[in-house]
Amino acid sequence: MWLEVLSEILKLTIFAGLALAGILAILIWKKDLKTKVSYLRFFVQATAMTAFFFIFSYTTQLLLILVVIFALSIFFGRFFCGWLCPFALYLDLVAAVRKAFKIRYWNFPDKLNKFLNRFRYALLIFFIALPFMLEKIEPWQWSLAKFLIGPFKLVSVLLGPVEPLVIPWESSLKLYNINLSYPYASVIAFYSGENLALIAISIFIAITLASSFVVRRFWCRFCPTGVSFAVLNRFKIFRWIPLLRLNKVEEKCTKCGICKRVCPAQVTDVYEVKGGDITTSMCMLCLRCVEMCPYEDCLKLNMAGKTLFKSRNWLEPSKIE
Amino acid sequence: MKNSSDKKYSIEISQKEAEEIRNAIKAASLKVMDEYIERMKKSWPNRPEAMQYFYDIAKFFGTREREIQEAKEEGKKVIGYTCMLAPIELILAADAIPVRVSSGFYDPVKLGNRIVPVEVCPVVRSTIGVEMIGLSPYLKLSDALITPLTCDGMTKLSEILSDSKPVWTLYPPRLKDSEQSMFFWREELRTLKAKIEKLTRTKITAKKLKAAIEIMHKATRAFRRLQEIRKDAPVIMGRDAMLVNQTSMWDDIKRWTEKTEELCNELERRIREKVWACPPDTPRVMIAGSPAIWPDNWKLPNLVEEASPQGVIVADELCSGDRFLFDPVGVDEWTMDDMFKAVAERYLLPSTCPCFTSEDGNKDRVNWLTARIEERRVDGVIYHVFRGCMLYAMEYMRIKRVLDKINVPVYYLDTDYTREDVGQIKTRVEAFLEMLKSRVEF
Ligand code: SF4
Ligand code: SF4
Ligand code: SF4
Repeated sequence: MWLEVLSEILKLTIFAGLALAGILAILIWKKDLKTKVSYLRFFVQATAMTAFFFIFSYTTQLLLILVVIFALSIFFGRFFCGWLCPFALYLDLVAAVRKAFKIRYWNFPDKLNKFLNRFRYALLIFFIALPFMLEKIEPWQWSLAKFLIGPFKLVSVLLGPVEPLVIPWESSLKLYNINLSYPYASVIAFYSGENLALIAISIFIAITLASSFVVRRFWCRFCPTGVSFAVLNRFKIFRWIPLLRLNKVEEKCTKCGICKRVCPAQVTDVYEVKGGDITTSMCMLCLRCVEMCPYEDCLKLNMAGKTLFKSRNWLEPSKIE
Repeated sequence: MKNSSDKKYSIEISQKEAEEIRNAIKAASLKVMDEYIERMKKSWPNRPEAMQYFYDIAKFFGTREREIQEAKEEGKKVIGYTCMLAPIELILAADAIPVRVSSGFYDPVKLGNRIVPVEVCPVVRSTIGVEMIGLSPYLKLSDALITPLTCDGMTKLSEILSDSKPVWTLYPPRLKDSEQSMFFWREELRTLKAKIEKLTRTKITAKKLKAAIEIMHKATRAFRRLQEIRKDAPVIMGRDAMLVNQTSMWDDIKRWTEKTEELCNELERRIREKVWACPPDTPRVMIAGSPAIWPDNWKLPNLVEEASPQGVIVADELCSGDRFLFDPVGVDEWTMDDMFKAVAERYLLPSTCPCFTSEDGNKDRVNWLTARIEERRVDGVIYHVFRGCMLYAMEYMRIKRVLDKINVPVYYLDTDYTREDVGQIKTRVEAFLEMLKSRVEF
């Protein structure tokens, strides 16, 4: 009993803490827009993770959640990847630690990155087909049916990154009765079997975190969820739909190259495309390029034609002081 | 000093002769500088007090020379550079003093003519002459020179200067937009960094580089603030703003920043009080092309702002002017690696020097010009070209076509380091301004 009370109190404290942090983040952001959108983003990511936890605790209709996320991403492109995805939060936190230690990151060579950009669609198909392939190999009876009706199977590859650290259902990672999770942990556990689950998951955690320590947003370069959003925005018939778009004013751009260097996904289009709509299927709308572009009004984030956020001369102290 | 037989270019000039010529030119220059400053003051009688500082710094053979001399005696190194592609942050990070040394003196051109033919760009010839007699204090005091090989003139100039000083060449790739160019350029800067470290015996650490970048950020901020002020009705004469821009090239950059901010404060107050430097309907002129360098080559700015009808220079596209401190180093993460990359990119990518080319025909420069023209409401452009400056001359048609399209008149003015054509240019500039004026009124 008291444990439950405690957990409720804990939840409420988390909520209150988040609310406070949120107000703080927005205040800081308002005060000085320079490089502060990144803080706001961290906050939104953390909130999103908590939100996902609550959503998960009220519904087990994971398919439904997935459908909603996908429907939204038709309209908002990969906004999810830049701002909401819990997995991305872990990757960004690792990068923040690296930054704090003043250790450099490495880039993929441009060619490799561009190749991955196309190759990820093949990877997506592979990721989705993988469960079925494994089903075929394993001579389990009814397994396909099990797979489809199970609460967490088919969708788990695509929903992987969305799982928050603590989940309200039984998991193979447990700490004092708290069910812990990590993106794709359930998928890995499912296929590696009871005995190996912990080892396999640990290896996966180590690899993903270490790789994103070296290369920014390593996983996102071929993440199936991210790719499937990109696919949605890539098809011609969907092209006109996205409401969120990055826009560049050609005359204001001095080709200083900052936007290209700061992009965690190594998107080069923002730099290379002359002007106009520069949203691409690689861009996660994290807005780092917009906040770092040093020219007033050069880069903009537009929603249905209305500018939400734009680059400014960040050498100037903010006018709201 | 090298033995004369080891010299590659320099024609021997006896100590005595050098001294005589130097003293003569120095005296004449001092007079010219005083005269120009007086003329600037006259055409802007109610100038703010903060301007006085820049007049003082602008005077060669004065305060700043003594300061640098003293700093040198304390063991500081001075590193000169001939072109704005040289990374100032690296010089500052090594506790050295950066000074720009491309010369604007007219008379030494005659000495330069002894070594290179008169067809060569006058900046190059003048710089050679200045070096021969040790006229410019900044060139004389430099312990080493950074010479970006932008054009043919600069390339050979660096060889000629290497007769008397260590010269560190920097080779900018003429195509900016490729991975291999960036790679090459970064390696160039890495080599340069090692050379700077060796000369100054100072290791450029991450901490020092960060401090240097921040100093330059503040300078850029003040610089852009001043440019911003020139956007609307003229509260500052163009010549004065250009002089402020140029003093940043040899002044102590921190002090320069403070003074510029002071000036901006005063100018902003004047905007509020609507105190204009000249009538707001004065034709607004932009100077594009070859640099106008203080002191002697102030011919064109003087002409424009003293002509009748008068014009006011609200913008320029000179590497000695509005372009110099315009771009900030954009650091993503304060790691040595990223800072270094950011510095390297800052000096190569946004440069609109015509020595670069691309498939779209140096569109970067076109964009820079058109953006500035729109922002500062420029009425007409004077395209300034030195005789012998191939690159700016050849790009004229490219720029003219663009300006014709947006209906901004452009006037091609070619000149040399000489005072003889003043009268002739004056008539032409006045005709151009007359035409602009009628357009403005219309
Ligand atoms: S690409 Fe995948 S892991 Fe990265 S932010 Fe998007 S959904 Fe999350
Ligand atoms: S940061 Fe801005 S100005 Fe620089 S290249 Fe990118 S869009 Fe252009
Ligand atoms: S292009 Fe800009 S908004 Fe898109 S991912 Fe890169 S930095 Fe973020």
